[in-house]
Amino acid sequence: MLGTPAILPERGIGDRLTALFWRRPRVLLALLLIPPLVWLGVVYLGSLVALLLQSFYSIDEFSGVVKQEFTLKTYAELFRAQNLDIILRTVLMAALVTLASAIIAFPIAYYAARFARGRWKAVFYLGVMLPLWSSYLVKVYAWKLILAREGILTWIADHAGAGPLLARALDEQWFGGASLSTSPVGTFIVFVYIWMPYMILPMQAALERVPATMLEASADLGASRAQTFRSVILPLALPGIVAGSIFTFSLTLGDYIIPQIIGNSARFIGLAVYQFQGTAGNLPLAAAFAVVPIMIMLVYLGIARRMGAFDAL
Amino acid sequence: MTPAVEFNAVSRHFGTVKAVDGVDLTIAEGAFFAMLGPSGSGKTTCLRLISGFEKPTAGGIRIFGQDVGAVPPNRRNVNTVFQDYALFPHMTVRDNVAYGLMVKGVDRRSRLEKAEELLALVKLPGYGERKPGQLSGGQRQRVALARALINEPRVLLLDEPLGALDLKLREAMQDELKALQKRLGITFVFVTHDQHEALSMADSLAVFNDGRIAQIGTPEDVYSRPQTRFVADFVGSSNVLPPELTAALGGPSKWASLRPEAVRLVPMGHDGTVKTVRYLGAGSRVVLEIGGTEIAAMVPAGQPIPETGAQAAIAFDPRALHVMAE
Amino acid sequence: MHSEQAGPGVKIAAGLGLAFLHLPILLIFLYAFTTEEKSYQFPPPGLTLQWFGVAWHRADIWPPLWLSVQVAAIATAVAIILGMLIAGAMAQTRFFGRDQISLLILLPIALPGVITGMALRSAFAMMDIPFSVWTIILGHATFCIVIVYNNAVARMRRLSGGIMEASADLGANGFQTFRHVLLPNLGSALLAGGMLAFALSFDEVIVTTFTAGQQSTLPIWMLNELVRPRQRPVTNVVAIVVFAVTFLPILAAYYLTRDGDATAGAGK
Repeated sequence: MLGTPAILPERGIGDRLTALFWRRPRVLLALLLIPPLVWLGVVYLGSLVALLLQSFYSIDEFSGVVKQEFTLKTYAELFRAQNLDIILRTVLMAALVTLASAIIAFPIAYYAARFARGRWKAVFYLGVMLPLWSSYLVKVYAWKLILAREGILTWIADHAGAGPLLARALDEQWFGGASLSTSPVGTFIVFVYIWMPYMILPMQAALERVPATMLEASADLGASRAQTFRSVILPLALPGIVAGSIFTFSLTLGDYIIPQIIGNSARFIGLAVYQFQGTAGNLPLAAAFAVVPIMIMLVYLGIARRMGAFDAL
Repeated sequence: MTPAVEFNAVSRHFGTVKAVDGVDLTIAEGAFFAMLGPSGSGKTTCLRLISGFEKPTAGGIRIFGQDVGAVPPNRRNVNTVFQDYALFPHMTVRDNVAYGLMVKGVDRRSRLEKAEELLALVKLPGYGERKPGQLSGGQRQRVALARALINEPRVLLLDEPLGALDLKLREAMQDELKALQKRLGITFVFVTHDQHEALSMADSLAVFNDGRIAQIGTPEDVYSRPQTRFVADFVGSSNVLPPELTAALGGPSKWASLRPEAVRLVPMGHDGTVKTVRYLGAGSRVVLEIGGTEIAAMVPAGQPIPETGAQAAIAFDPRALHVMAE
Repeated sequence: MHSEQAGPGVKIAAGLGLAFLHLPILLIFLYAFTTEEKSYQFPPPGLTLQWFGVAWHRADIWPPLWLSVQVAAIATAVAIILGMLIAGAMAQTRFFGRDQISLLILLPIALPGVITGMALRSAFAMMDIPFSVWTIILGHATFCIVIVYNNAVARMRRLSGGIMEASADLGANGFQTFRHVLLPNLGSALLAGGMLAFALSFDEVIVTTFTAGQQSTLPIWMLNELVRPRQRPVTNVVAIVVFAVTFLPILAAYYLTRDGDATAGAGK
């Protein structure tokens, strides 16, 4: 066996490159990173910069042509009453959706984290992931079927003897409409349906980190279920809830498909962006509108960070 | 004869951590060489410096006389049995063993034949179709050994090769490895933190401490003539005598080591107090406290054993007292 | 913990919550068989299979379907390559700027789609880039990278680093190690990531409307049908197809990666 050389000869380009990467690991690192960073840097960051630039341009009111000069005029337009309305309505909706999502998501996350074992754990996981990943449009469409005047919900209400109640509710100016599918409450329900699953997983992860012994300790000390929940579980799960709320809040803030299909054609930020860049041809104002959710999210993330939500992601 | 491996003032620093610090080392061809030391002493880093997975921050390494400063691991004819075996989970045992030949471009038939040969060598004939996940720890270790030997390396590196095995299996493997090394004549370098393993298997060993070599020599050298307190304590479980005690016992005023087997008990004396007595079958280990230092003595079976708390004196052949440099 | 039982309140609320997530989708299937094409009447006055045939022969469905498949396939291919490269770099040692890079990868799906869409739209407008298949792909690949990356990096973390070293130790150069050791072990994770990326791209509408111009992908076709319905049950037939294309990959990805940590889809 001793006939073999101690150092083997170099065979071809593969060996030569391997030797180069071994001597200079940074070269390999750079080669790996350059393509994706060029892509993300140019395509994505470049676009965000373009967005920001565009928002500082303005549109010539007579010719409709974009003037590529720096101005704050477009941002000032955001503060017009009807535009402020849009922003406030969107933020309010996002906040309500986030709150409702937290309430609906909590029992699911709580059960999955604390009681589900083995098979059931997998069932819960898939039970959350499948709706989350299923086609967005199909899910929205399903609700158009449900909320339609002639749809299943009206049918159920009629058969349960609640038809008049539903009709009266729809007469309410605040959230009613001709039918559920053209009412703000309809928009709200669909928002919750679409974005709520995003809250479950971070919440579940946070709840799984609450040690069972801590809950037992609380029970040993004579705390009732409600007390344990309020003073032990909730504070410990809060970072997870806040982490989940980042998604529901952010995604609701930017959505423009749902209010287009379900609702009373009241405008939201996303819809405004869509319409200004499209039919209105006012790219600068659309860009400025798109900057609004970024700013709101920066503030939101700042608060979330303080509450420890980033550790829960 | 050219040494198999030579370290010339080799250092490997990670930031401020000096994993290996100025090591000089020569491993003779055909040796069964052990690197012994506690965890974090630099022995594994030294092994990785030989295989090429670490590069020295200073100094040079030669393998059979050739400088390997610019030679990546794949071109060093040195193979490793990894501590966790690192078998390829997606390949059969046979393909695992044949891997080294496959990447060299050896045709399928010859390499599978050779793999069978090696599986027979490590006493796993007929296991070729299995996946590593279906093997026991001991079997995986044999596969790792066969895989590392298929390229006929000039040096075989073994990183804590027996660490994951239970005691009985470990002793059997020690004998087998030793026999295998004799038969193949390959230089074996193995890393261990177990002094018994190092002493019983190696014909030459280096004791590592804090990134440096504390002592290098034959097992007999290191065990009987430790050069430092660390070696005496780590390798031999020897009695380490501070200078004052050495002087009081008739030696020079220096640190010294004294093996428990060399110590006899004199029942009538008053050197110190018996602290513990442990029965070990072939004899008893009696620990006395003499002037604040604990001295162990091996009392052969059949001789009187003092009781705990009794007074006793010790006697020994002056030649057994080994004076150390530090 | 095991001795403890869930209270009936928690059980019922969790069950209702899951039912709320799953029941609505079933209606899509029901309405594909209804005989009523002008409204969403419930219960359907009659059931028929004819809409599947009608959908098959509708000429306006095939081009968007083909475009969606093309876009998703190319975007997925780009995402697999780029995602794998970043995962490879990130699995290596720590380096300066590592955290910033992971944030950069995440950003395209963390920010609402309308921002990504509007940003791309602004960039295309400023550089006078005309809309094409490639403008759509550009956007899709960008948010698909993170999906592949998440799956690949999770698998790499789980792989024993020893097997890469073992391969080099046995004489394989970097390319041989990649082909014979890394790729076979990474394969199912890449497949899972790729399928999820395909699903995400195939279904995407929010960014696409900003980058498509006059072209129509299947989701854009569907969106138009939702705003101005024609034969409603035909839309349901298409919806079932879209649903299947998004539903099956997550199921498959789950089975491909379940022996590791449950990471499939956690990135969406």
